[in-house]
Amino acid sequence: MSSSAATSGLELLEGSTAIARAAITAGCRFFAGYPMSPFTGLLESMARLLPGSGGVCINAQSEIEGVNMALGASAAGARAATGSCGQGIALMQEAIAETALNETPLVIFNMARNQQDYFQCTRGGGWGDYRTLTLAPKDIPEAVEHTQLLFHLADRHRIPTILYGDPLIAQTRIGVRIDPLELPPLPAKDWALDGSRGGTGHSRQIWTWAMGKATDPGPGPDRHWQAIAEKFERIGAVEQRSEGFGLDGAETVVVAFGSAAKFTAHVIEELRDAGHSIGHFRPITLWPFPGEALARATEHARRVLVFELNAGQMLDDVRQHAADRSAVLPIGGVSIHESGLSYGPLLDVPVIRERILAAMRGRRRLAARAGLSAGSRG
Amino acid sequence: MEQEVLIAGIGGQGIQLVGKTLALAATLAGRHAMLAADYGGEMRGGPSQATVVVGDAPLRALPIVPAVGAALVMHDRFVGAVPERLRKGGLLLVNSSVVDVDAERAARYAYFELPAIELARELGAPAAAGLVMLGAFARLSGVVELERLVEAMRSLLPPYREQHAAGNATALEAGWAAGADRSATAAAG
Amino acid sequence: MSEVIATDRPPEGAADRVAEFRPSLIVGEHSLCPGCGEPVALRILLETLQELGIVERAIGVVGHGCYGSFVRIMDVDVLQCLHGRAPACATGIKRVQPAAAVFTLQGDGDMVSEGLAEVLHAAARGENITCILLNNGVFGDTGGQQTATTVLGQRTKTSLDGRDPVSHGHPIRIADIVAGIDGVGYVARGTVGTARGVARTKRMVRSALETQLAGKGFSLVEILTMCPTGWFVGAPQGPDYMEQSMARAYAPGELRVSLGDER
Ligand SMILES: Cc1ncc(C[n+]2csc(CCOP(=O)(O)OP(=O)(O)O)c2C)c(N)n1
Ligand code: SF4
Ligand SMILES: [Mg+2]
Repeated sequence: MSSSAATSGLELLEGSTAIARAAITAGCRFFAGYPMSPFTGLLESMARLLPGSGGVCINAQSEIEGVNMALGASAAGARAATGSCGQGIALMQEAIAETALNETPLVIFNMARNQQDYFQCTRGGGWGDYRTLTLAPKDIPEAVEHTQLLFHLADRHRIPTILYGDPLIAQTRIGVRIDPLELPPLPAKDWALDGSRGGTGHSRQIWTWAMGKATDPGPGPDRHWQAIAEKFERIGAVEQRSEGFGLDGAETVVVAFGSAAKFTAHVIEELRDAGHSIGHFRPITLWPFPGEALARATEHARRVLVFELNAGQMLDDVRQHAADRSAVLPIGGVSIHESGLSYGPLLDVPVIRERILAAMRGRRRLAARAGLSAGSRG
Repeated sequence: MEQEVLIAGIGGQGIQLVGKTLALAATLAGRHAMLAADYGGEMRGGPSQATVVVGDAPLRALPIVPAVGAALVMHDRFVGAVPERLRKGGLLLVNSSVVDVDAERAARYAYFELPAIELARELGAPAAAGLVMLGAFARLSGVVELERLVEAMRSLLPPYREQHAAGNATALEAGWAAGADRSATAAAG
Repeated sequence: MSEVIATDRPPEGAADRVAEFRPSLIVGEHSLCPGCGEPVALRILLETLQELGIVERAIGVVGHGCYGSFVRIMDVDVLQCLHGRAPACATGIKRVQPAAAVFTLQGDGDMVSEGLAEVLHAAARGENITCILLNNGVFGDTGGQQTATTVLGQRTKTSLDGRDPVSHGHPIRIADIVAGIDGVGYVARGTVGTARGVARTKRMVRSALETQLAGKGFSLVEILTMCPTGWFVGAPQGPDYMEQSMARAYAPGELRVSLGDER
């Protein structure tokens, strides 16, 4: 490598490779997945890189097999991960619920084709009272950080965590640095199975029903699942992450997540330069949704515009938390590239600018139609 | 300042390799670079595009680049699509072996042309027309030095293609030399 | 560790309770039906772990069926996994803990109906794990419905007039299929319907685990187990019924052996 590249520390990496490197930096030692675009690049990178780092990567024969392999590896104490995109993640839901309820940490990379998996990531698509902590990076450098953070959070809370990526993050190449993230130490995994307590009367057990052994009874499903529900409530309160700008007194607040938020932020910077009173709010955790921060950010807003590339999924969360739910207006929509594998024409700066400006022009009419709070907010 | 270049041609012309070489060369030079993803695939004869952005600070450019300051056009099937994205006054470098741009259109840009296929053939590296163009572009735009391009090209060649390294280097050098003489590359009419 | 009963001299006194003969790794009463074959298979498995001296590196993966409740009474590390997926979980465990002795405990519904793909792919990978199939030809746990291994003519709650190939298809002989896959080290089929069958099955389980310990690839022992409840026969009739129905369709014996002279 050249000296200047060495000093800048930048390497030109495809997003998938950067994420694989970040995962290995975070200590991931087991990966199993089944090819599906645009997740395939991550699987290939893991297959290339993990064996040299003392890890194992398996090209599973289905998503169901892949996620259960990762569950097994994690139950045996390794940092383990799997991934796919929407359809494949749908097949994994039974196991994702299982990891939430039997408290096996697991990282799931949803390298989604678009933004239509918001509900899937945030609602918990399996059964039982759990959620999946989901980070939605806006670009590759942030995905490198989030990947490491997700392994940490999965271990810290003993939960499944999801990276919500997309084709732009998976397939763009960019000069990037894989810096290890400084994270607080975690307790040893004394729950992990290794056989060593066999025959002592205190052998270990990982079981969703948590009934324990005859010699060492567990709490059982009632108390165990109540505790799980309480745990998710706690996580929901402490793990919210978001960022924004121009929110102080902004008349209009635009809300967007993931790559799309990079586009909306770009437009809003231009509009602010042109003198508009407009701010930007980006949920970084999709679950837990940063509801309190959004409520503060929209306190003085006359309108809250939600830009997402789906028929309105995050919209539900924004409506639930915005200071005034009648001010919330969707300005995104379904938009798919003709290949079916990526975003369509809606994810484009001029289109987004036009939609925001149109929504701002339509303000009075909208307010009048709603007939509610417009006057009182003056 | 960020410099963006759109590289357009057809599959089989090595468009993606040209894009990767440029992005990697800039990275090796310690600059920030991005190569936007391409979803068209690399079907022989189908459209192929690569967009590269280079800058000295973490890039502000979006991963779908709406407008570019330079374009490198390898095939005439796609020259029509370029003006949608190339800014007025931007650098337009055209492979004149197969692309014909009328004077009126050329006048809107800083226009240069190069018979890249003939040049590459003369060098005995007929498959390296794209690298001839890249060499010229690097010189004209000042985006990166020749040595970095050669270094990047070499590190991108898979072992089973190593025999092409010398020919590719000559192609980059020839383009670089042609790019020095702005009047030679600029269109007559 | 195990409490070894000396057999080279007469007992010091008469046994006061039959239950004392249960191996020390079984730490509670099972709650299965009278006449069920599954507890016998569990005992065979746990005793073999003790005899091989691998209890402290044994990790079990248990599927969903009546045997699922064994996770409460077996004193070894266990992962209770999803229905059918035990071979996948066992793969993950074995790959990150190669020194562990990893086994699965699955029923016919679990392995052959719901989890057919997982067991076949684990076998084809030559995964160094041991899968124990408790085949009773029904979904015992859910009340006696037809599984992929239900023998022709067998009446179940979802094949009321007996399994008929025209409407219900043919049973799958999983052990025969697995025995034909490259990468497989050991496959055998045993039964717990007779005392002789129990003794033979125990040797099979031992061979399977030894195959794993020697790194010779995937091993499977299919154990035919009585399910009088699911078959709708009395508990005492279970073994005879099994000999006449399942044991005829599924001939016991070793189907693939790769540990040869070195043993
Ligand atoms: C995904 C899923 N589907 C269905 C079930 C319900 N279920 C639990 S046990 C069982 C049958 C198990 O049959 P088998 O493996 O043959 O065990 P047996 O009870 O006969 O010993 C079924 C269908 C489940 N737990 N999970
Ligand atoms: S239903 Fe069958 S398999 Fe289940 S415990 Fe009863 S006899 Fe055993
Ligand atoms: Mg059964």
